[in-house]
Amino acid sequence: MINLLKHTYLLNIKEIKNNIELFWSRYQDILNNKKSSWDDLNEARAILYFLGYLYPEKIVLDSLAGRIKYIKPFIDLDTFLLAIDTNNKEILKKYENNQKFSTLKEFYLIIKSIKNRVKNKTYLDEGRFDKLYSKLKPQDYF
Amino acid sequence: MKNIIDGKIMVIKNKKDYYRIKDETILIVKNTTPDITIIINKIKAIVTEIDNKLCHAAIIAREFNIPLLMGINNVTEKFKTGDRVIIDFDNKNIEKIK
Repeated sequence: MINLLKHTYLLNIKEIKNNIELFWSRYQDILNNKKSSWDDLNEARAILYFLGYLYPEKIVLDSLAGRIKYIKPFIDLDTFLLAIDTNNKEILKKYENNQKFSTLKEFYLIIKSIKNRVKNKTYLDEGRFDKLYSKLKPQDYF
Repeated sequence: MKNIIDGKIMVIKNKKDYYRIKDETILIVKNTTPDITIIINKIKAIVTEIDNKLCHAAIIAREFNIPLLMGINNVTEKFKTGDRVIIDFDNKNIEKIK
């Protein structure tokens, strides 16, 4: 997670993507492995919480909000997000040669790809995770 | 012009509730999940408890141009499925129509 945070600070898109996929891969390995333990499953839980909530909704949002002000001409975060999500050609054309805009756009699209990821018919494969979690949860859980 | 919508609501408590939606409806939910896409064309508006520009509901509302009211505390407890409500987006207010 430190590595992902480091590359988020650096806005190193390639490494951000790689690190997210590494987390996803580890999460899938835990869910796929029939020998996964309660300890492993709590690692999966940490990944799920980090990728599904903490990273996108706190860290990335702060990162986008902090960086959007460096884009010239000025664009606020709401307009930026709406322009990308609705494929607003007028705004996208205005910034098509703007490197900072393009980098933030790419960053946001990577985050969207994890926020909208569905596997085995559930969001972030939560269905499988929930089943395993219930199965392995200790009786004396506290 | 006032930014107001009214209609019947569906309170989403779990993913299966999405599959019960038959008619145009206002969704009342803590946050949405990708299951929402199966009934996306029936959604008149979304009201959420969560308030975050990158939450799933915010993304989906932008993508599908659905009116969205976020950050309404305990909204899934205050209303029940079938209630008729009026939403004032400018004043971030939702009220039951009696």
